[in-house]
Amino acid sequence: MRTDPSETGGLFVTRRPGTRPVQYRTAPRRGDARRRRLDGFVGAGLLAVMVLVNLCFWGPLPLACLWIGGHLQYWTDSVGLGLLAAFVTLGGGLLLGLMALKRLDYAWILVRRAAGHDQREGVIGKIFMICCMIGVPIFGIWFTFFSGATLGGFDVQSMLGGG
Amino acid sequence: MGLLDYYRQFAGMTDEEVTEQLREQADEHRRRALARIEELDLSRTTWHELPHPDVVNAVTFAARGALNVAPDPTAEELRRELGRRNGVEPDRVAVGHGAAQLLSAAAQALLEPDDELLTPWPSYGLYPVMAQRAGAQATPVPGGHDPERLLAAVTPATRAIALCNPNDPTGEHLDAPALRALLEALPEHVSLLLDEALADFVTAEASGASLQLLDDHPRLLIFRTFSKAYGLAGLRAGYVLGGPGSEPLLARIAPALGVGLPVQIGALEALRRCDTQLIQRRAAVAAERERLLDALQELPLDAHPSEANLLWLRSTGLSGSELTVRLQRSGVRVMSGTTVGDEHHVRVTVQSAAATDRLLDALRTALGV
Repeated sequence: MRTDPSETGGLFVTRRPGTRPVQYRTAPRRGDARRRRLDGFVGAGLLAVMVLVNLCFWGPLPLACLWIGGHLQYWTDSVGLGLLAAFVTLGGGLLLGLMALKRLDYAWILVRRAAGHDQREGVIGKIFMICCMIGVPIFGIWFTFFSGATLGGFDVQSMLGGG
Repeated sequence: MGLLDYYRQFAGMTDEEVTEQLREQADEHRRRALARIEELDLSRTTWHELPHPDVVNAVTFAARGALNVAPDPTAEELRRELGRRNGVEPDRVAVGHGAAQLLSAAAQALLEPDDELLTPWPSYGLYPVMAQRAGAQATPVPGGHDPERLLAAVTPATRAIALCNPNDPTGEHLDAPALRALLEALPEHVSLLLDEALADFVTAEASGASLQLLDDHPRLLIFRTFSKAYGLAGLRAGYVLGGPGSEPLLARIAPALGVGLPVQIGALEALRRCDTQLIQRRAAVAAERERLLDALQELPLDAHPSEANLLWLRSTGLSGSELTVRLQRSGVRVMSGTTVGDEHHVRVTVQSAAATDRLLDALRTALGV
């Protein structure tokens, strides 16, 4: 059964959507093999940085937000203000992080092309998804068993029978 | 190139930029297409428009049919239709690959080595060639379509006269009475090969007036074609009509295995469908011919009166070759008279009103008036 709406069975002699090759304003002058190899390493480095930034969303960033929120609560003796500060910091951090990721992703595309790859799309979506798959369970385990957090006055670990 | 510039050159264009670029390219293409002026080809006497669609359909139908089967070599149905329309027995009709093939075959059949073929000159360039191929000699008779000159040029070696009527390239025409007088004055050993390839454009007398001569003159052969007014030059279809007793000669002239099935079907369909079209084309050519001749009176050009879809022009100040080159510069292609050994004339084909206008503009430019 045909399920691909862009598959016309050869009825229209044209390129399928999303398969247009990269079109440059002027033909780029690529570096030599050494330069391309170096660009390959730079691309891998940028990829690593993107992974790190993504992972930050599931550890360092929430921790930092909690730290700020906790300190503000301590200084002002206001739980609400502490919570607000934590959420605002979290939102702002996520936004800044995503903006940085977007730029890194664009730089990664250019470097990959410079390295000789036909790189048409970025990798930000895939990295975000993979980091979610890694970060969410880890965060969940930490939050449940090691953070000492309480929900509505109940100890989460006691509720789960952890003592 | 700086480090950042090096990487920036790998930035692809956005969809909007690509769309804009494609739009600009399309606009440029359109501008060029509109600015380009197609050459107007007035150097051929074949009809400039596509054939009747019914004929094309018939030929296509035949081509998609049983081409593995040999067609009727006698083209019986086509000959019957041709005979009916021309008032001639089908046995006195032969079909061939255009009038040129039939004329050549007739020359082969009639001429022996050292025989002579007379032809008024300038005329259709095939006649000397077909005489040579038959091992005979072609004798051009200068002075146009003048029966007196032709008769004066006849010798005991003369076996045939090739007469293009109306004449290509001059457009001269001998009417039926003049042809009858010529035939009656010709010696017994001379046949008249009357090439009526352009006869469909004649307005001076009724169509087919020469056919009445066939019954009285067995040495007359009339050649006709579907290549000109019917616009079927690509089909290579023609026929020849002979007088009583011409059957054995016609059998020798006709191609041994006949013509192809698409040719037979196409010619038959043309006979059945194109009468109205033929009348319209004849009227259009006649009107444009008159208009062109009137307009040429204001230019330093001499033009022969013509009964064909062509005019034979002579510039008072330019050679035929020079006029041809100048017209070519204006995008109008004509046939230089040098093709038939005439340095002073050019042959222009009469087509549509738009073609006439362009030709007149080009002539004014070429002649500097």
